[in-house]
Amino acid sequence: MAYDRKQGGHQVAQANRPDYRLEVGRAEVPVGVPRGFAVLDPARAATLRAWTATLIPSAHGRPDAGALGAAEYIDATLLKVPSLRPALLHALESLERIAMTKAKKPFADCDNDVREQLLRQFQVEGDADAFSMVSDFTYEAYYGHPEVLAALESATGWHGLGPVTGGPMAPFDAKLLNRVKSLPARWRHVPSETGGS
Amino acid sequence: MSREPEADVLVIGSGASGAALCNRLSGYGAKVVCLEQGDWVDRARLPKAHVDWEVRGRRHWAANPNVRRWPADYPVGSDGEDPIDVYMYNAVGGSQIGFAGNYWRFAPSDFRVHSLDGVAVDWPLTYEDLAPYYTINEAEVGVAGLAGDPCGPERPPLPNPPAPLGRPGELLVDGYEKLGWYWWPTEQSITTEAYRGRLACDHRGWCTFGCPRGSLSTADLTYWPGALKNGVDLRTNARVREIMLGADGRATGARYYDKDGFIQEARANVVVVACGGLGTPRLLKLSASPAHPDGLANSSGLVGKNLMVHVQSFAVGHFKDPVDGWRGTWGGTVSTRQFYETDPSRDYIRGFIMSGCPGWSPLNLALQIAPWGSGHHAAFDERINHEISLYMCGEDLPEESNRVELDWDHLDGFGMPGVRTHHALNENSRRLGADMIAHGRQVLEAAGAKSVRDFGLAPIWGWHLLGTARMGNDPKTSVADAFNRAHDVPNLFIADSSSMPTSGGVNPSSTIQALALRCADHIWETRRDS
Repeated sequence: MAYDRKQGGHQVAQANRPDYRLEVGRAEVPVGVPRGFAVLDPARAATLRAWTATLIPSAHGRPDAGALGAAEYIDATLLKVPSLRPALLHALESLERIAMTKAKKPFADCDNDVREQLLRQFQVEGDADAFSMVSDFTYEAYYGHPEVLAALESATGWHGLGPVTGGPMAPFDAKLLNRVKSLPARWRHVPSETGGS
Repeated sequence: MSREPEADVLVIGSGASGAALCNRLSGYGAKVVCLEQGDWVDRARLPKAHVDWEVRGRRHWAANPNVRRWPADYPVGSDGEDPIDVYMYNAVGGSQIGFAGNYWRFAPSDFRVHSLDGVAVDWPLTYEDLAPYYTINEAEVGVAGLAGDPCGPERPPLPNPPAPLGRPGELLVDGYEKLGWYWWPTEQSITTEAYRGRLACDHRGWCTFGCPRGSLSTADLTYWPGALKNGVDLRTNARVREIMLGADGRATGARYYDKDGFIQEARANVVVVACGGLGTPRLLKLSASPAHPDGLANSSGLVGKNLMVHVQSFAVGHFKDPVDGWRGTWGGTVSTRQFYETDPSRDYIRGFIMSGCPGWSPLNLALQIAPWGSGHHAAFDERINHEISLYMCGEDLPEESNRVELDWDHLDGFGMPGVRTHHALNENSRRLGADMIAHGRQVLEAAGAKSVRDFGLAPIWGWHLLGTARMGNDPKTSVADAFNRAHDVPNLFIADSSSMPTSGGVNPSSTIQALALRCADHIWETRRDS
């Protein structure tokens, strides 16, 4: 079963359509590993870090995505997939252009509310595919991070390490089936004269 | 290259069916060679061996080969009104390495769709023909479950007890009980207790992302250890280019590229194709020759046609209280076949199952429902650990227009063509799907959900790729006979999901492997004829 798909608006991954989702299969980038920037210069790196922090801000006792290295994770992905670099570089330029026009200062220097407004404008006017790429990669970097998974447990009861450590559960109680066992058979008997080998 | 057969049987493909065939035949003493285009999975790289397993599942482990692009993967395009998002793995163990472990038997009526319901075709065998092999297979892989389900014929006890329900399962049982529906613990290909040297499941869940513990019964862990011990010559990284024929029209073996790209041959007295619903028609079409201009074993013209994928969806219930959804088997702990058989009061024929699962994991949930920006955490926290998902699977009837073809515009790493699927849901499937989703929502509401969302019928999830070289008694309307022997080539067998004439309404792995065991016995029993 596939459940790593967004609900609605989904397009089938095709072999013949350029799509960032098709480019990342060979880019294994562990989450939560300390790393710097390899592809982006410091100014663009600052813009991207602010972008990721705006997508998932700090709240509910959890850090923002920028503080957890989401921008570095995206940069590391682009290091392995050079074909994705043009889209991101153009998107960063577009976002900075909007920031300088609307806020009169670099995107990274704006406060949270302004950044969110600017980013919403970029989402509408800019490269939608590049926006989706940065969003998806930011979500990956955030929800794969051990610090976030640990924070989720205290805040929501979701045991973030459970899927890799396991744990005991109560066995199935067959008494639950008492009613169903009393029901008549519910399957069709196949007459012997039909078909057959 | 030697012209003499080096083996009694050549099996192409090491997945669910190929592994079972190799194990069974070698157990009888047959000399078996198996060609697998992929390699062994490095278990240290299983996503679930890492904290960031969800991320790895979207990249290295992505179920779509166009994303994953392992060296053995070939391009798969998708066309049609309802294009298929194809999920499959090319590796030792085949697509089972990424399956959830749902492990149903077909119902007797699934083998008689035309006789009972007037549509599609009957199988050339009955439930009773296959039942002994279901039982053998369940013992081999260590199926968990409970005999006595009134929605199916009597059967022997299963080798392992059912998986724990957990809170999601308990809630769904409440829903089923309130509605008065039939339900039963789901049969799963998971060792819930230590079994034949394998560890008991410890409830990590999210089984499709690999089971580092080895409790998920994938073919690389179930059938292959025994097959190798029996002496099967498993050749990995062997990309088969064509099946070879002799002057007498019999298959003599296969020609393949080895891991270094050099052409090799493997010769045997019997050849079995077990490459799955896309791979098998791909290879048969690649094996076209002057005697078989439209592809090997394709005098019926049906190789690649009647592609079926099941009508599938999820309904997701949102509950007020936490559901401890981070643990427990993911494939579904409790299921219902309340709507499995054709009911004349409904506006469609055939039916579906529903199987309860825990809710969504953090990354996948966030991608689905949590908007970016200042509202992100509130939306996420409202749902995480408060949702239960219900997997729903219904029968997809065969249509000749649903098909897979070679795609010479997109080649694999060895210059061989990819494939392109064409698929549209027919009206019956749409009606069935709508009713299936409505009933999924109904049981979640009965279980106490304060709201329910569903996934509709798009995308078409391509886990179950069936029917593209179907069995039948008539060579004009089928590719292989009741024992999976190709009508056109007497020593060629097609033994995998492609051979299924209809899809049933359940996950197919159990039936695929039972068919493979039955085919293996037939090959052995008729070896002197072959």
